[in-house]
Amino acid sequence: MNEVFVNMGQIGVLRGKGVLVTVGLGSCVGVSLYDPSAKVGALAHVFLAKSRANSDRELMPGKYADTAIPALIDFAVKAGANRNKFEAKIAGGAHLFDNLRSDMPSVGQKNVEAVIEQLNNYSIPITGKDVLGKRGRKMSLYVDSGIVVVTIIGQESIQI
Amino acid sequence: MKEKLDFLSELGSIGASYATTSLSKMLHDAKLKLTVPQSRILSFSEAANFIPNPEEIVVCVYMRMIDAFEANIAFILPLKSALTLAEYLTSEKSDHITELGQSALLEVGNIMLGSYLTALSMLSGTKLNPVVPAIAVDMNGAIWESILADAGITDFVTVLDTHFSTDQLELSGHLFFIPDHDFYQFLTRKVSGFLLEESK
Repeated sequence: MNEVFVNMGQIGVLRGKGVLVTVGLGSCVGVSLYDPSAKVGALAHVFLAKSRANSDRELMPGKYADTAIPALIDFAVKAGANRNKFEAKIAGGAHLFDNLRSDMPSVGQKNVEAVIEQLNNYSIPITGKDVLGKRGRKMSLYVDSGIVVVTIIGQESIQI
Repeated sequence: MKEKLDFLSELGSIGASYATTSLSKMLHDAKLKLTVPQSRILSFSEAANFIPNPEEIVVCVYMRMIDAFEANIAFILPLKSALTLAEYLTSEKSDHITELGQSALLEVGNIMLGSYLTALSMLSGTKLNPVVPAIAVDMNGAIWESILADAGITDFVTVLDTHFSTDQLELSGHLFFIPDHDFYQFLTRKVSGFLLEESK
């Protein structure tokens, strides 16, 4: 099967078949958009919640939650998706170094909140999520079915 | 910039040698081989590709220090090496990292990173206070990006990497020193200070 790896800060898009994979989600959040009728899927590996002016947000919109969601929509629509049919799934936003937990929200938590806020802004329903906690994740979007599989080391993979 | 990187490599070389000396003592004077530290400035995309096997399970002891400058230091062992070391320290054989093994590894990491900081502190003439270390057993890629995100790295990152190994025990690992951007201002002050001293 055609496997496309989506690295930190990037966005991947596929239509019809294949799988979009992102490995090693720690505090980062994997966000997938899927249009079931067109079988178009897009996946972003979001690194931080907010972009700044004069940053690389135009070059690498997938890096920040506030630029990743509109860019995901753009990429998927260009690949033939209907923007009113998107379903979103999200995974990641963990806090790996558990004993350093403080009262401040972790980077992972901020990322998750920012991604959810952006998806709400664009009225995209979130149909599956596996977020927070203290374990790293791998996330795969199967473009023929829209199934998202999330794997944590030492645990059975789950479908979200 | 080159002289800053050279200076940084020098700091790292001595830091890593302090750290591995303390590891060697814990291993009854096992001989440890060290590579010359590589200090590199990576763009964000290069940093994203820096870890060759992001799915590999590793054990990482990590400190984020906020002091005269802000920096992250990490001690990373592949799972196999971590199991070897945990077994050596606890006399408990297991195919996974047990709670006892984890606390032993945390302590080793604490001592090693503490020695690294002692060296940095001495060389830079700056008081650096030790901080509480954290430990994670997880995918290499997830650990790496969490450290970068913690440091708020968005454009480029300086990474000082030293690899160490020993034949007496099947053990190898990495020591990483990842300073935040303000470290360069700190270095500029220090390097110009040293150059002034030398030109006298």
